[in-house]
Amino acid sequence: MSALSLYAKRVVWGLFILCSFQTLAADNQLTMNIDRAKFNYQMFCQGCHTPDGTGGKSIPKIKDHIGYFLQNQVAREYLVRVPGSANSSLNDEQLAEVLNWMIIELGGKSVPTDMQYFTTSEVGELRQAPLFEVVEYREKLVEQLSVK
Amino acid sequence: MNFIDKFFEKRARNVAQLSNRRGFIKGVAATLVGASTIPLLPVARASDTPVLPQEAGDPSSCDYWRYCAIDGFLCDCCGGSYNTCPPGTEMSPITWIGTCRNPIDGRNYVISYNDCCGKTQCGTCLCQRDEGDRPLYRSDKSNDVNWCLGATSSVYHCSTAIVVGIAFDEGSSK
Repeated sequence: MSALSLYAKRVVWGLFILCSFQTLAADNQLTMNIDRAKFNYQMFCQGCHTPDGTGGKSIPKIKDHIGYFLQNQVAREYLVRVPGSANSSLNDEQLAEVLNWMIIELGGKSVPTDMQYFTTSEVGELRQAPLFEVVEYREKLVEQLSVK
Repeated sequence: MNFIDKFFEKRARNVAQLSNRRGFIKGVAATLVGASTIPLLPVARASDTPVLPQEAGDPSSCDYWRYCAIDGFLCDCCGGSYNTCPPGTEMSPITWIGTCRNPIDGRNYVISYNDCCGKTQCGTCLCQRDEGDRPLYRSDKSNDVNWCLGATSSVYHCSTAIVVGIAFDEGSSK
C-alpha cells in the first residue's frame, strides 16, 4: 500500500469516527434550565421524596436508584407514567427537564453510561397512560432490574 | 542478575542524562502551586451556600412572612422555633412545600412546612393562611394532609416553616 493511499485511508476513518460522534451527540442532546429544574423538584417532588431523594417509609428512594429504571423500556416508561409525574401540573417540557435533572443530580452510580435523556415529545406521549396500581407494578419492575 | 544490574544502570544513566534534579524540584513546585490555586477558581460555589433571607417580623405571629401557606400550630409558640421542633417531638421528613414573598427583599422563597410529631397538639398560636393551598385530591399541594404520616409517630404537634431555596422566576431567567 502506498503512503498516499494509507494517508487517505486514515483521513476517511477519522472523518467516519468524527461523524459518528456528532450523530450520537445530536441524538442525545440535553437542554436544561438547572434553576428551574431544581425549583420544580422542590415544589413537586421534594415534599415526599425528601431534599436529597432518600425518601422514607413507603416513599421510593430516588437517590442512587433512579438510574436503574433506565435499564429497559418498560421501567423507563414507569418514571413518566407514575402518578406523581404523569398527573403533575408540570408541562411536558418541564417534566422531561425535572426527570433528567433527578437522574443527573440524584442518580449517582445507578445511571447507565449510555443513558438517553427524556425528551419533551417522549414524556408528552407516555404521560397519556398514567399508572394506577403503582405499588405492585413497581415491585414487579424492580424484580426485573439489575440492582447493584 | 548481571542482566538486571545492566538494565537498571542503563535506565538510570539515561534518566540522569535527560533530566536534572532542579528540573524535578521545579516540576514538583509547579504542581504544588498549581494544585493550591484550584480552590480559588470560580466554580459554582455560591450554590452551596445556604439561602439566608433577610428577616423581618415576629416568628410567633401568624403574620410572619414565612407562614403565608401554613395551616397549624406555630412551633415558635410551642417550645421550638420557625425552623426547629420542640423537645420531645420528631420532624417529619415528608412535608408540603410552597412559596412566600419576603417583604424585605421582595423575593419569593421556597418554604418547607415540616410538621413536628410525637406529642399531642400544641394548642397555641393556631395559624391558617393557606396561600396556594389546593384541595386534598392534589395531596402534594394540600396542607390538610397529616404529614406526620412520614414520621415515627403520626400524632401532630406543630408546624415549622423552613426556607429551602429561592423560587425560580421564569421572567428573570430570560
